[in-house]
Amino acid sequence: MSQELIRLTNLVMEFDGERVLDSINLYINDKEFLTLLGPSGCGKTTTLRVIGGFLTPTSGDVLFDGKRINDVPAYKRKINTVFQRYALFPHLDVYDNIAFGLRIAKLDQREIDERVTEMLEIVSLKGFENRKVTSLSGGQQQRVAIARALVNRPKVLLLDEPLGALDLRLRKDMQNELKRIQQAMGITFIYVTHDQEEALTMSDTIVVMDKGKIQQIGRPEDIYNEPKNAFVADFIGESNILDGVMLEDCKVKFFGRTFTCVDKGFEKNEPVDVVIRPEDIDIVEADAGHLCGTVTSVTFKGVHYDTIVDFKGFKWLIQTTDYCPEGSYIGIRLNPEDIHIMRKSEYSGMFGDYSSYSAEYDEIADAEGSEDET
Amino acid sequence: MRRVNRIFTVIVFIFLYIPMIVLAVASFNKGTDIAIFQGFTFDQYKELFRDDHLLRLLGNSVIIAVLSMAVATVLGTVASVGIHSMRGKLRSAVMGLTNIPMTNPDIVTGVSLALLFAFVGVMLRINAVLGFWTLLIAHITFSLPYVILNVMPKLAQMDPDLTEAALDLGCTPVQAFFKVVLHEIMPGIISGALMAFTMSLDDFVISYFVTGSGFVTLPVEIYSYTKKPIQPKVYAMFTLIFVAILILMVAMNLLQARDSSKKLRRKEARG
Repeated sequence: MSQELIRLTNLVMEFDGERVLDSINLYINDKEFLTLLGPSGCGKTTTLRVIGGFLTPTSGDVLFDGKRINDVPAYKRKINTVFQRYALFPHLDVYDNIAFGLRIAKLDQREIDERVTEMLEIVSLKGFENRKVTSLSGGQQQRVAIARALVNRPKVLLLDEPLGALDLRLRKDMQNELKRIQQAMGITFIYVTHDQEEALTMSDTIVVMDKGKIQQIGRPEDIYNEPKNAFVADFIGESNILDGVMLEDCKVKFFGRTFTCVDKGFEKNEPVDVVIRPEDIDIVEADAGHLCGTVTSVTFKGVHYDTIVDFKGFKWLIQTTDYCPEGSYIGIRLNPEDIHIMRKSEYSGMFGDYSSYSAEYDEIADAEGSEDET
Repeated sequence: MRRVNRIFTVIVFIFLYIPMIVLAVASFNKGTDIAIFQGFTFDQYKELFRDDHLLRLLGNSVIIAVLSMAVATVLGTVASVGIHSMRGKLRSAVMGLTNIPMTNPDIVTGVSLALLFAFVGVMLRINAVLGFWTLLIAHITFSLPYVILNVMPKLAQMDPDLTEAALDLGCTPVQAFFKVVLHEIMPGIISGALMAFTMSLDDFVISYFVTGSGFVTLPVEIYSYTKKPIQPKVYAMFTLIFVAILILMVAMNLLQARDSSKKLRRKEARG
């Protein structure tokens, strides 16, 4: 159904010899909402700027509708951008800002009028035509920026952390608004953010990036439930990440105990990273648990409690609606589908430990022998 | 302490403005002796406007000032955009080079320009090369750095995304400059132009070396008066020039104040 619109092949970007993008391969379908997600400096904005035509890649190709557009300047691309700090023209009012692109394209005044009015309605800014953009609030400026880009009916809209400067409430509203606009107009959105929740809420496809490389591409559910490595598991949501050994298909051993899981296709006795999401853990009485530990801290978060539990020195984060007081000895149960297995990567051991001290990690290995009976 | 500061401020202002006040008072003096005020009169002004020679010289000065301002403003603005687009080290090196002529003593600039013009004149076999054109070129040369000095900070203050936004919306780089960048840096261009204008109007030393007898500006002529007593109508002319410059400067400051209060309001609106 959906067809490919943009493809990046072996894209490499270097600034002064420093590699900012490292062989990026990615295709983007028509009418897709794709999010580039990653921490600052991961290369997501650079990727966006290459697609927008503001940067020429050091090597590799940018294809648009199957044609190579590496050397096509920004002003000739059917792509528009919503900038992080809006970049509205301060000397023009709301109407003239939105009409800017249409005037450059030399459309007749009647059509400009129609399209600007239509856009003002879509972004709910009717009646603001003659306001100075400098007199608008952040959220309103944001909407003008979106209208200014969309009025040109681009094939693709690039959005560079467009909601970063807004407060939480407004951000949530604008997330829904953006998704609605995207679906109503049937335009491909390429969205850059470091906010994982935003990415999960809005995207059809998420591209997780770090250190100039793509770590994982997938639907939001896949990214969350089946992270490829410790970086993705940690960056998207909270994760307890443990060292484990895959004994055979659907059998993993960690903390000296063998658990049943649903993952297959690993080598026999392959060392792996085990991910357990904090909200998947069931707290039970100490004698009924697979593992037992002592609660070391409880933080009320509104919907749930963030409970840190010490299992022989390795601290887990458990998100639960059951209140367990600090110091209580509790047990936990893990269902096979709560356990997710990942291959070892360069990120192994860097994330997913909620201890403030890592020295105790070694003690688990020492204690393993006696742990089997628990 | 505050009182001492205030007293000093008053003293500084007296020292700065007393010569102008004396000049203005002298221009309205009936008598010719500057030491005694013999009564109020507009006679000097009437006489000034009857003196075609002085008025022509003033006209020369204004023509040179307007032309050199226009050329220096355009060149300086274009140069600023070029310098702004350079990368870190190269940019500061070029900025240093443009700043040096401003600190160079006028007499050195004047003599070296005169030598250059004489040299070019010999090369091109032009007799009496010094005149209107050499004067204009010299004035453009020394005004240029002042324009760049005023435009560069405006370019630096501008949100660099604005240019990209214009390109994104279909502007060619040239269109982006005229439709967006120019509006943003206009206050800098205007203050640069005004500075170029006043620098040119006021220049004596450089003009003295680079112009011939065919085209003389007011300051050059006035300098020759110091050997004979200055006529009171010259006081009148200077008073008028001072008032004109004063109005220009006040206008410029008001313009800048309006600009910065706009910026402030914009910041508040964002915050």
